[in-house]
Amino acid sequence: MAPQLDEYLEAEIQRLLTEHGAIAEQGITLQRREHLLILGGEVESAQRRDEICRQISARFPDLEIACDIGIIRAAAPSEVEEIS
Amino acid sequence: MIRIAAVGDVHVDQDVLGRYRPALEQLPGIADALLVAGDLTRHGTVEEARCMASEFGGLGVPVVVVLGNHDHQSDQGSQVTDVLRDAGLIVLEGDGTILEAHGRRLGIAGVKGFGGGFAGACASSFGEREMKNFVGTTEASAEKLGAALRSLECDALVALTHYAPVPETLAGEPPEIYPFLGSYLLGQAIDSAPTALALHGHAHHGTERGRTPGGVPVRNVAHPVIKQAYNVYQLLSEDVD
Repeated sequence: MAPQLDEYLEAEIQRLLTEHGAIAEQGITLQRREHLLILGGEVESAQRRDEICRQISARFPDLEIACDIGIIRAAAPSEVEEIS
Repeated sequence: MIRIAAVGDVHVDQDVLGRYRPALEQLPGIADALLVAGDLTRHGTVEEARCMASEFGGLGVPVVVVLGNHDHQSDQGSQVTDVLRDAGLIVLEGDGTILEAHGRRLGIAGVKGFGGGFAGACASSFGEREMKNFVGTTEASAEKLGAALRSLECDALVALTHYAPVPETLAGEPPEIYPFLGSYLLGQAIDSAPTALALHGHAHHGTERGRTPGGVPVRNVAHPVIKQAYNVYQLLSEDVD
C-alpha cells in the first residue's frame, strides 16, 4: 500500500536526504502530487542522483517518485564580471 | 586589474574527480587566484579532503578556501584543513592572506560564518543555553571576520565566507530557512572595512547578486547558482597594466 503523501512523509524524506550518509544533500526539493513525489534540484554527479532515488525507493518501496534532479555543469566561464 | 575566480559548494568526492579539472587548468590564463566558498567535500572526511586537494591543487594560481558546514560533518575539520594545506591550498578561518598580482596587493579575509538570520527575523542571544551558543557562534565568527578584514593592508579587499552576509542572495530559498543560511552580523563585519567584494556559498537555490547595507557587492557563488566551474570577477579595473 502506498504511503500517504503528507507533510510528515515530506519531512521524513527531507531529513533522509540530508542525514543519510550515502546522500548528504541539502538542496533537493520535494513536490507532493496526489500520488507522486517529484524530486528537483541539482547534484554533482549522476551517481549521486541515482543514489537519492535508490535510497528513497528502498525506504518507501510503494511510493511513486519522479526524478527531475539535474547534474550541475562544470564548464569554464566565457565572461568576466567587472565589479564596481 | 586583478581577476579572481570563485565557486562554492563543490562537494568533491571520488565520483567528482576530473569533472572540474579541465576548466580549472585554464585558470592561469583567466584569473590571478581561485577562491572557494566552503562545502569543499560531502561529509568532511580526510579521504574526501584528499579528493578536493587532488582536483583543486597544483593549478598554477593560488587557491584560497574556507570550510563549509559539510566539511564539519565528520568532526574532522582540523584534519581536513591539514590535508588541504599540505596540498598548497590556503585555508582561512577567521584570518586573512595577501596575494600579489600585477604589482597590486589582493587581501582576502575568510571565515566559515554561521546562521542567525537578518533584520526582521534574526535570532537573539536569549533564553536557553543552546540558543545563546547558536548566536554566540555567529557573533564570534563575525568578529573574527571583521578584525581580519580591517587588518589587511592591500589594494583590493575581498571577504570569503560560506554562510551568507545578506538576505538578497538567498532569494529563491524558502524564507523559513534564512536563519540557517546566514547572518546580518557577517554583513556588518564586511561593512566595517573597505571591502570591494564579498563572496559566499551555501544557498543552492539562492540568487547570485546582492549588496550589503554599506554597499559592498555580494556574490553567491554556490555551484548550483552559477552553473559553471567558477565565475570570474575583475577588481581594480581602473588600473592600466
